[in-house]
Amino acid sequence: MALLELTDITKTFGAGDQRVEALRGVSMAVEAGEMVALVGPSGSGKSTLLAIIGALLTPTAGSMLIGGRDVATFDAGARTRYRRDQVGFVFQASNLVPFLTARENLLLVGEFGGADKGALRRRADELLKELGLTEAAGQAANRLSGGQRQRVAIARALMRDPLLILVDEPTASLDTTRGAQVVEALREEIHGRHKACVMVTHDLEMAARADRVLEIRDGLLRAHGAPVV
Amino acid sequence: MLAIREMARRRLQFGLVTGVVTLIAYLVLMVTGLGLGLNQAAGTALLALDGDYLAYSDRSNLSVIRSQLSEAQATDIATAPGVAASAPIGYVAAAIEFRPGEVDTGALLGIDLGAIAEPAVVEGRALTETDTRGLLVDRTWVSLTGTGIGDTLQVPVGLAFEPFEIVGVVDEGSFFFQPAMFMLRDTWRQISYRAVDQATPFASVVLLQGESLEGATGAGWEIVTKDTAFWNIEGVSAQQGTVDALRYMGLLIGAMVIGVFFYVITLQKVSLLGVLKAIGASGTYLTTQGLLQVFLVSLTGTALAAGLAVLTKATVLSSDAIPIAFTTGAILSSSVAVVVAGVVGALLSMRQISSIDPIIAMQQQQ
Repeated sequence: MALLELTDITKTFGAGDQRVEALRGVSMAVEAGEMVALVGPSGSGKSTLLAIIGALLTPTAGSMLIGGRDVATFDAGARTRYRRDQVGFVFQASNLVPFLTARENLLLVGEFGGADKGALRRRADELLKELGLTEAAGQAANRLSGGQRQRVAIARALMRDPLLILVDEPTASLDTTRGAQVVEALREEIHGRHKACVMVTHDLEMAARADRVLEIRDGLLRAHGAPVV
Repeated sequence: MLAIREMARRRLQFGLVTGVVTLIAYLVLMVTGLGLGLNQAAGTALLALDGDYLAYSDRSNLSVIRSQLSEAQATDIATAPGVAASAPIGYVAAAIEFRPGEVDTGALLGIDLGAIAEPAVVEGRALTETDTRGLLVDRTWVSLTGTGIGDTLQVPVGLAFEPFEIVGVVDEGSFFFQPAMFMLRDTWRQISYRAVDQATPFASVVLLQGESLEGATGAGWEIVTKDTAFWNIEGVSAQQGTVDALRYMGLLIGAMVIGVFFYVITLQKVSLLGVLKAIGASGTYLTTQGLLQVFLVSLTGTALAAGLAVLTKATVLSSDAIPIAFTTGAILSSSVAVVVAGVVGALLSMRQISSIDPIIAMQQQQ
């Protein structure tokens, strides 16, 4: 059984003449330890799909099972706990808390509740080491380089040992070399820690580093299971 | 804690907010102190009287100035059911010349020796039957005017000024915003009415000790509590109303300023708060952090203001010329009011925080 399984997910915004169908019956599955890249032009629905998988949006119809539970039926509190405990986000601009150090950014997720803080401290040190951030651990996030920030964001996403990592344009603000390093670091963590990962990207070169590439266009998945590049 | 770390790392921003809260809290505390000082000036001597009730003539509208009681009425009051002890008191305001050409207004209070209205002497001696031209004068006034035991004050008796000697100093404060000066009640009658006979009022009011006397009435007199008597001193209620209005306006302005500051700070952090929600922070966690910041800023600002107010009183306003006073209770209650006003003012920001949609984490660029 796949770790993440989406069936006939649709998402409609607005009503009447303003009605927009962002997703039109998307079905897909992601296994644990698998990194899936989601590509497509702007407005194709890939970010909407990522937001639905991350419970930032609720689908208009369809089911989304993660670990056998249908996230689409969760109430607001359950969605918050789902994002906290089962999902790790890496955003386009890293979105770290600027006045906290790299290490504090990792430990911050422990403040949201439901975690053993001692274990989180050990995990933070372990992740900082794995991602080559030990020396940057005490630096404020707004003083880190773009690449370092994205690696801290990856570490933060892994802090609570989530089932699923969701990545939104992780290399958009990086040059090609640094972008490749970040995606490679992410890939290693996904495989090493046996997480499922969905990465939205415009960058086909970065997408090619994923295990599978899916293309979404006009709210429909066009290519499934085979790279499109 | 995220809230405390943010305050520690953004010291300038939060320092400025704290500075503004300090100024507002200082204003509120000073107004409170002024109100308290004015209240003390209005009637500490009345509140200090060793009794629980005061009897007035029933047509005086509870005014000590207008109240006039006859000897028969005073006797009637003293023997009313529930009265344990009584003391007739006369009151008149008079211009007191304490040095040639230097005049102040004093509250002359006529008392009977050995009665419950006789004040405790803190310096000098008590009045005796022979002190028909003797005075017990309030300590603050003695200090302000540089007078002392044995000094002579010129007090108007009829059309002439007569010398009165300060025989003792008391710590009774003021009466009707004037320094309290105690004299024998017979002397008070002479000063107030010149010719003393059966028709001359015996006292202005009667101080009473006893139980359940409030509301008791008799032939031309009525009894109220000392507290009621205080709030019926001419000008006290209006003055307190003005001071309260100033305090409430200060608190309102404080709430608005703190509210606006934190609303702006919240608006600046909308995207960051959205990200935190996206990665699992609950609305409760974030509003708690926000409220903690408001609470700490308000508390720090108020504590600084309290220190500043006490320092001001001890230095710039150390003389008793400006009636400003602080008590621990007044400082604490005003401080709590400022902190509460700050938290209430920031509720709009908390609503803003709880309404932030985490989807904005995916919609913004850095």
